[in-house]
Amino acid sequence: MKHFKRIGRLGILTLLLFISTSSLLFGQRVVRGTVSAGQGGETLPGVNIVVKGTTRGTTTDIDGKYAIDLQAADRILVFSYTGYETLEVDVSGRSEVNVALKEATTMLEEFVVIGYGVVRKSDLTGAVSSVKSDDIRKITASNPTQALQGKVAGVQVTTTSGAPGAGLAVRIRGVSNFGNTSPIYVVDGVILDDISFLNSGDIQSMEVLKDASATAIYGSRGANGVILITTNRGEAKSSGKPQVSLSTEFSMQRLAKKIDLLSGKEFAIISNEIKPGSFNNVDAVPNTDWQSLIFRTAPMHNHQIAISAGNDRLNSYVGVGLYHQDGIIPKSFYKRLSLKLNNSYKVVDGLTIGNNVTLSPYQQRNAPNVTYSVYRAQPVLKPYYDDGSFGVVYNVGNPLADLEYSNSYNTGIRAVGNLFAELNVKKDFFFRTSFGIDGGYNKSMSFTPAYTVYNPDGTASQQDNQFSDLFKGQNESLTWLWENTLTWLKTFDKHSFNAVAGYTMQRSRSEFISFAGQNILRDSRDFWYILPPYILDETNNINMLQSIYNGVDANLYYSMISYLGRVNYTYDNRFIGTVTFRRDGSSKFAPGNRYSNFPSFALGWNLANEKFMQKVDLLSMLKLRASWGIIGNEKISYYDRFSRVNSGLFAVFSNPDAAYPAATYGKTGNPDLKWESTTQTNVGVEAGVLNNKLTGEFDFYNRVTDDILVELSTPGHLGNGMGQRVRYNAAKVLNRGFEFNLRWRETISKDLNYSIGLLGTTIHNEVLTIGGNSGIDSTLIGGYLGNGQPVTLSRVGLPVGAFYGYLTDGIFQNQAELNAYPHMSLADVGDLRFVDVNKDGKINGLDRTYIGSPIPKFVFGFNVEVNYKNWDMSLDIQGQYGNKIFNGKDVVRPDPYNFEKYVFDRWRGEGTSNTVPKPAFGGYNYFPSDFFILDGSYIRLRNVSVGYTLPSNLVKQWQMENVRAYVKANNIYTLTKYTGYTPEIGGFDVLSNGIDNGVYPIAAVVSVGLNINF
Amino acid sequence: MKRTLIYFAALLLIGSSCKDFLDIKPQGELTQEAFPTTASDALLATNAAYATLRGWHYHSGGYPILDIMSDDTHKGSNPNDQLNTLGPYDNFTITPTQDGLDRWWASLYEGIKRANVVIEKVPLIAMDTNLRGRYVAEARFLRGLYYFDLVRAWGGVPLVLSTTPPLKLPRSTAAEIYVQIEKDWLFAASRLPEKGEYNSQDLGRASKGAAKAFLAKMYLFRKDFVKAEQYALEVINGPQLYDLEQNFAHANSREGEHGIESVFEIGAFETENALGNQYANTQGVRGTPNRGWGFNRPSENLRNGFEADDPRMKLTIIDLGDVIDGITILGDGSTPDYIYDDNGNIMERECYNRKVWIPGLSTNTQYGHNRRLMRFSDVLLMAAEALNENNKPGQALTYLNRVRARARMGNNAILPDITVTDKDALRNLILNERRFELALEGHRFWDLVRTGKAPQVLGPLGFQAGKHELLPIPQNEIDISQGTLTQNPNW
Repeated sequence: MKHFKRIGRLGILTLLLFISTSSLLFGQRVVRGTVSAGQGGETLPGVNIVVKGTTRGTTTDIDGKYAIDLQAADRILVFSYTGYETLEVDVSGRSEVNVALKEATTMLEEFVVIGYGVVRKSDLTGAVSSVKSDDIRKITASNPTQALQGKVAGVQVTTTSGAPGAGLAVRIRGVSNFGNTSPIYVVDGVILDDISFLNSGDIQSMEVLKDASATAIYGSRGANGVILITTNRGEAKSSGKPQVSLSTEFSMQRLAKKIDLLSGKEFAIISNEIKPGSFNNVDAVPNTDWQSLIFRTAPMHNHQIAISAGNDRLNSYVGVGLYHQDGIIPKSFYKRLSLKLNNSYKVVDGLTIGNNVTLSPYQQRNAPNVTYSVYRAQPVLKPYYDDGSFGVVYNVGNPLADLEYSNSYNTGIRAVGNLFAELNVKKDFFFRTSFGIDGGYNKSMSFTPAYTVYNPDGTASQQDNQFSDLFKGQNESLTWLWENTLTWLKTFDKHSFNAVAGYTMQRSRSEFISFAGQNILRDSRDFWYILPPYILDETNNINMLQSIYNGVDANLYYSMISYLGRVNYTYDNRFIGTVTFRRDGSSKFAPGNRYSNFPSFALGWNLANEKFMQKVDLLSMLKLRASWGIIGNEKISYYDRFSRVNSGLFAVFSNPDAAYPAATYGKTGNPDLKWESTTQTNVGVEAGVLNNKLTGEFDFYNRVTDDILVELSTPGHLGNGMGQRVRYNAAKVLNRGFEFNLRWRETISKDLNYSIGLLGTTIHNEVLTIGGNSGIDSTLIGGYLGNGQPVTLSRVGLPVGAFYGYLTDGIFQNQAELNAYPHMSLADVGDLRFVDVNKDGKINGLDRTYIGSPIPKFVFGFNVEVNYKNWDMSLDIQGQYGNKIFNGKDVVRPDPYNFEKYVFDRWRGEGTSNTVPKPAFGGYNYFPSDFFILDGSYIRLRNVSVGYTLPSNLVKQWQMENVRAYVKANNIYTLTKYTGYTPEIGGFDVLSNGIDNGVYPIAAVVSVGLNINF
Repeated sequence: MKRTLIYFAALLLIGSSCKDFLDIKPQGELTQEAFPTTASDALLATNAAYATLRGWHYHSGGYPILDIMSDDTHKGSNPNDQLNTLGPYDNFTITPTQDGLDRWWASLYEGIKRANVVIEKVPLIAMDTNLRGRYVAEARFLRGLYYFDLVRAWGGVPLVLSTTPPLKLPRSTAAEIYVQIEKDWLFAASRLPEKGEYNSQDLGRASKGAAKAFLAKMYLFRKDFVKAEQYALEVINGPQLYDLEQNFAHANSREGEHGIESVFEIGAFETENALGNQYANTQGVRGTPNRGWGFNRPSENLRNGFEADDPRMKLTIIDLGDVIDGITILGDGSTPDYIYDDNGNIMERECYNRKVWIPGLSTNTQYGHNRRLMRFSDVLLMAAEALNENNKPGQALTYLNRVRARARMGNNAILPDITVTDKDALRNLILNERRFELALEGHRFWDLVRTGKAPQVLGPLGFQAGKHELLPIPQNEIDISQGTLTQNPNW
């Protein structure tokens, strides 16, 4: 706090100095004022002001204000600014001159938020894409990042599950390592790993930083890309009246598509073929559609009130949002209240202080993942017995009973915000200090009563919980980030500088505690506490506290110190150069490897501003840019470098048994760990033709990530134990691709305008090395199915998380064919024919090979917007091409489960089928093979919406400014060959990408809503 | 301007002055440089070397594959359960990538590492020298135990005797591994207290008797029958600490835990957490009562091999309809009660391992089975075997018949004393007695291999001489070693 005081004092001092100096100068006068974009529009920083006929001049500050010393003869000031028409103003005899610049008709100048600053889009050398609030609100989702899907070239957003409040897997420009490939988020300057707490309605814009020039300012954390989020700020309106906006939306969600499974009769027919005599009369068996019994139509609603107010001293924004989503599986919901408070207060001219705060309490109820058991449950079993009790579902458990007895909740609050002060130190220098926090507190609780589902003969089935179980957990985390930056904005002659230097510190702390108990006294919620008197072992009358755990979240326990700097230089609005540098130190690495440097260099050329291009009328904008840089990644556990002692062990001796604590060496840590670094090259072109009716952006990127922080299996003889991996800097991955973003905008008349956008990205992903110089592990195995079988193998030359298994080439049609081909002893006539890949005459594990990639070759989006009179319509289509899905839910069959419909087209004798083998409840045909690899390409109608804005003369009578009503539909149609609920199979683990183990399906949503502005 | 720069420079200095700011140590955990350094650390480290024994992976990778590979059992559970992962052990169609091999390998080396921590670090600690010596001897006993599994399962393996082995380490020969086991166990036998010398709270720690019994076993595998005889007889005739339980069931049941017949066993709590042992749950009755997964199904060959009315049969095999400790065994709905071959003969029937049965209603209690790694009856049969090989059939019969006498459990009409003195015939009878006395305890497969009878007995099940005596080195270990490890012959 001491430091803040100093800033204040210093600021006032500087300010006094500034004012006194200017007034003391004799024979001169000062003209001051504000430059804005149009009448009552936003103020413009960095506007070039020159005294006509001289080289003397200045630029406007961050608030668009300027002050210039004039000599007696000076009469005319020239205001120039890229994207605006140059304006000459006679200032003789005036001391305050406010200027409104008119937007140049040929150029739609935009400002782009970049790390630690703002630049004009024309001065930008990096690859940055923006999404504005209107687009963000189009998708009804708890997490605003969903809005980026199909909207930003190079960004792939995948829901990990359709469960309310579930996370998103976000990947920018491919998959660059084997661990955490999520970007970082920077919300109003606070660096975060996740923004699930944020209400879409509070967001003004999201900027996706993709290339090294844009991300290098975030150094060690920029390698997976950076998403900058600017939240709404209070605005001064000319009327001085606060602006109030209300929005409310109601939605219904339903299962978009059922999986085509066998009916009761079909299942009975197939069962009789597998095991003759299983069903005597296939026409008399029950036919239970488990999917219809489980999935429901569920409501969702989303409301917001926002108040924005301001005057020339104080700006304030208050947003209150309520999001409530019920899941399409009963007993699941997500509720969130978000409170947003952004203020800024101009203490004196040149000193602004403020805050951005979000508080988000939430409550989530989680349904057990019954999708898997619904898929498996035999349709010939009845959900209930005649007496109304739950019927047994062999091997799987009755999903209705699972739901009935499940009680699982998360409740918590997330608080994110910062306090900042901005000081205009001297005319071109701006100092900003910001202290941000990200605090979270979460409680989880689950209770399962004692219950039994009985077999028809009255004995207990395996779906049997003898004692009630209660689990409680709490975790808390607090991260603080202190950032100090000094910005220099200077323009003289044709030179323009925008430079920033800074110093930041960050610390993250966390702790959790959890405990589990059994045999709670009563089942009702009033008893869900772990108090020894309530926890009874009926036979011994002793408490049954099962376990207590306490520790830290290894990913949220670290500290960092960083130095950063960037210079952006523009010459004559034609040539741009950007140099960025960041030096980061992290506690996650040993002292010798602690610091690393992340530089980047970029050049841009606004060709359209060249004289020789002025004659090309067709072309309204053309910019070339190129960048190169190194960025890092350090998302590992804070203790990976340490060799730790495992003290959670026990020996058991004596009679009766007694436990004796034990401790010994755990797995060996790696003290040599250092940063993972990505070297990225980007070449881009931005062009506009026909007065920017048609604009396009094209980028080619090449990212090579080296020294990837990857956990490798170590040789067994090191004694690290089964499945224990040690982290090394030991792999290299390439991501290369081409991005484009095209938009056609046209205003046909006062009543009609429209725009059409098309964007896409190609991704080439390839592992260049694994194992590196660690001397171990040349492959990485992952993607473990429910039965522990791995189905992905990443190795040199293949994509990250490539599927592997047997290749098939048909069905053994007869005994002669079986005898003629190498086959496993388990193989029989009518079974799949596996290819002898290594040609050793045998079929065994060594014949497993690459059978497909989970990474799409091409990701795309298509958007249309039309405004006609008071009507507006939008359409968003999004999709991907070239990725495969491994149908993991079909493969794991230890017991007789139901089948997908394709099984009915089975082999039934020579020549009947060469694609689907004879049916079996498991075994040979269910070895992971390309038989279970399905095409994951899809085109999805992501959003269709139609809105109507009430005539303004009508709403004015109601004291309203604007009223819009709309209907929209999200995810209502998906064109795909994939047979599961959704081809969008996401996961955070890149080695388990694209494996459908029975995800919670994503719902189709239909909504109606109303927006009112006062 | 100058002032600003000064101020800014001052800010930078604040950062560089906070060197400690970036020093974050593991929370709640020691690092290995700081352990073990005290007398209590030494005890903790020694206890940890035992903890591996309760790990699921320690027990041949989790599933009782040694029994499944023998003629005593089949895979078990319902026909599809673990069909591809465990099934191939039943008919010798396993491959180097077979499920479980890597788990067993890793677990044994984890135990070796834990023993090496004690052997390498504890001698450096200033503490009671007797206790220190005992800790090291316990660790060397356990290290020998882990290597004994490794060498029998895979032959020569990488020999690790320090806590910092090289990343790439080729296989030593089987003989070299046996030399190390012998050194460790001789050391343990000379330094460990007898079972009776331990305090009651230390019951279950490695003892002199246990070290000697395992030495006897190791010498049998090395066909050094003189030393095998010597150590087996030292256990039998030493301080008279061991005898047979009167009731055969108690040799493995809860009643006999740490009892008179127990030479070395693995203590475990009846809880489904780290204090329990899943070994018995893996083989527990499937279905009703729900006591486990139901793997390791006794074969018809074993059932029919018992001598007439041998009470050990019902104390080895649980059948449907049996009532044990008041609980009726109903079995599993998805498991056929009988599986017939094409001629209508029973190939398998639903039945379970009785030796791992623990009374109780939940699967939890099943975790409390104390697996016996060395029983006194095993020592008696080892003595009999060694004596017969050393041409002392008379003495051999004494010990063999002592085992049979107990098996009779008072019914003199059954299991008559054996009187055969022909060496070859007696060898077969002793091996046969081992089969029925020690059935489902993990001995049969290796007994067949070490006596050379495996091709004859297991050949019909798929065993190939020259190949299946050893398991294949786990393929992923070969891959990770980048060729440093070589595969066993014919795999």
